[in-house]
Amino acid sequence: MKRHDQMSSLVWLAFAIYICIASSRLSFGSFHNPGPGFLPLLVGLLLGIFSIVVILQATLSGKPQENIPPWYPRERWKKLIWVLVALFAYAICLETLGFLISTFLLLVFLFHSGMEPKRWVVAIGGSAIASFSSYAVFELWLRTQLPKGILGF
Amino acid sequence: MDLLSNLSLAFSVIFQPNNLLFCFIGCVIGTLIGVLPGIGPVATISLLLPSTFRMSPVSGIIMLAGIYYGAMYGGSITSILVNIPGESASVVTCLDGYQMARQGRAGPALGISAFGSFIAGTVATILIMLVAPPLAMIALKFGPPEYFSLMFLGLTLLIYLASGSMMKALMMACVGIFLGTIGTDTISGIERFTYRSYTLMDGIGLIPVIMGLFGISEVLLNIDEASKQEIYKTRISNLLPTLRDWKDSVLSIIRGTFIGFFLGILPGGGATIASFGAYAVEKRVSKHPEKFGSGAIEGVAAPESANNAASQASFIPLLTLGIPANVVMAILLGALMIYNIKPGPLLIKNHPDLFWGVVGSMYIGNVMLLILNIPLIGIWVKILKVPYPILFPLILLFCLIGVYSVNNNMVEIVIMLIFGIVGYLLKKFKYEAAPLILAFVLSPLIEIALRQSLLMSHGSFSIFFTRPISLILMAVAILLLVLPLIPGLKRPPKTEEDIS
Repeated sequence: MKRHDQMSSLVWLAFAIYICIASSRLSFGSFHNPGPGFLPLLVGLLLGIFSIVVILQATLSGKPQENIPPWYPRERWKKLIWVLVALFAYAICLETLGFLISTFLLLVFLFHSGMEPKRWVVAIGGSAIASFSSYAVFELWLRTQLPKGILGF
Repeated sequence: MDLLSNLSLAFSVIFQPNNLLFCFIGCVIGTLIGVLPGIGPVATISLLLPSTFRMSPVSGIIMLAGIYYGAMYGGSITSILVNIPGESASVVTCLDGYQMARQGRAGPALGISAFGSFIAGTVATILIMLVAPPLAMIALKFGPPEYFSLMFLGLTLLIYLASGSMMKALMMACVGIFLGTIGTDTISGIERFTYRSYTLMDGIGLIPVIMGLFGISEVLLNIDEASKQEIYKTRISNLLPTLRDWKDSVLSIIRGTFIGFFLGILPGGGATIASFGAYAVEKRVSKHPEKFGSGAIEGVAAPESANNAASQASFIPLLTLGIPANVVMAILLGALMIYNIKPGPLLIKNHPDLFWGVVGSMYIGNVMLLILNIPLIGIWVKILKVPYPILFPLILLFCLIGVYSVNNNMVEIVIMLIFGIVGYLLKKFKYEAAPLILAFVLSPLIEIALRQSLLMSHGSFSIFFTRPISLILMAVAILLLVLPLIPGLKRPPKTEEDIS
């Protein structure tokens, strides 16, 4: 855990420095009448202090390196990245392609090359059922306004 | 007399057909997601929150509450049959429940957990009726300093009870408060950290953050780890516990109920802590503690009663003080605000139908759950067999639709995905997301209370220590922060390893 704690706390320390710099541009006010920058600066400072403490604790603890798994997934990291790429692509394309098409494409991808690849027939069939039924429930029944896209559905 | 008229109000609300229907839907969905590992009550409630905006607030909260305590019933099914807890409050049930199933006693284990939950739920409902109104009366005397101290105590408790490093939990609380300050400052009207983004001007939405941290990140972790689950192949027979089983577990159920209820009321407490606490107590008072871990029925009865009592008791601080005790209550607080109902001590007085309707629905909900769980157990076992590779695209789809439908804003989908990645990394690096969420929800309330208190006291922090109620709350909070620094004092056990 030692290395992990050092790494992660450094990131938090950087974040704390950002909070402090960004909130010092806002008015701090005074203790009598605290301004909008008061609380952010306070938690920024605290976050910085706590992360330094964790870094020190991790560095000073004399424990030998335990055998811990790496923080990134060893075997499936490619799958994870692809799923994330697909999700971000979905967010970007949703309003252009419309709900039905983008959802269908996303689901085909997730079923077909997700955790355990399914056959094309299963992937396409399952995606068609899932996207049409969610369209029916959310758009037609609950009247959620799902994006129509350039094709109008 | 008062109690009687309140009771009749409770039942008049819950017996309206649509409220009954939504209570039932909530219980069914709750059991369902309790059974399905990989999606918990937090993610589900945030998913379904947008769909309640078209209902009346009473029906909405009744349904969401049903999901929460329904999940407590459902979670025990997977713990007993698969040794995988459906959600965190059922982790400790695995210890003895799964052993019972392996000895061919899955039936009595499932039976006693359903009956125990039912008894606990019933008792908790009655206790809520007795405790909540006086508590709200006391809370009417609260000013900004008391509110600040109470929220400070709530956060501190959650940090104290965090399963990992307390320092890390403190960091998460700071991050949560900071995230909550993003957007337009309610007092001065100045924009903070928005970088001229229209989406950020209203602040980061609660729903994308929660769905990212608890929904998306859970799916990402499951893709990464892909646990293979094996259902214990056993014929489930004799769901009704024998007379001996009852004798062994009746005291455990009663103890579990009360432990659960009191741990549930505490801000920062909740069902998970209650179940571990009840298990630890049972092991200590038992005449044969060596049997625990190898199929003792007390080890199933106590935690299952406790988590159900706690899940219902945690509504008390929300409905009487406006303070969420845990993440689920934090979402419900958000829901109340969206429904335009101001949570706080006046809620019982101004919206009696909401308060008493929700309390009444808990009782009816528990009856429904008993029926759903005992005769229909076979259906839930079948659902357990839906493989995760088929399930996860559907969970993702629900998250995407849910977030988009709140504001029809695709930026919120991106925010959700970013918090999904953040949540994934937090779990990998052993940070807890719960203090972050609670701090995030409380942040605007904390800020207003803090700034108003300092205005009242002309800039002196002593205002939190000179008013009696505030002093007591602050003293407890500071004690909790200092305790772990004293050598020789260990924090209470929270994890499976700690217990065994």
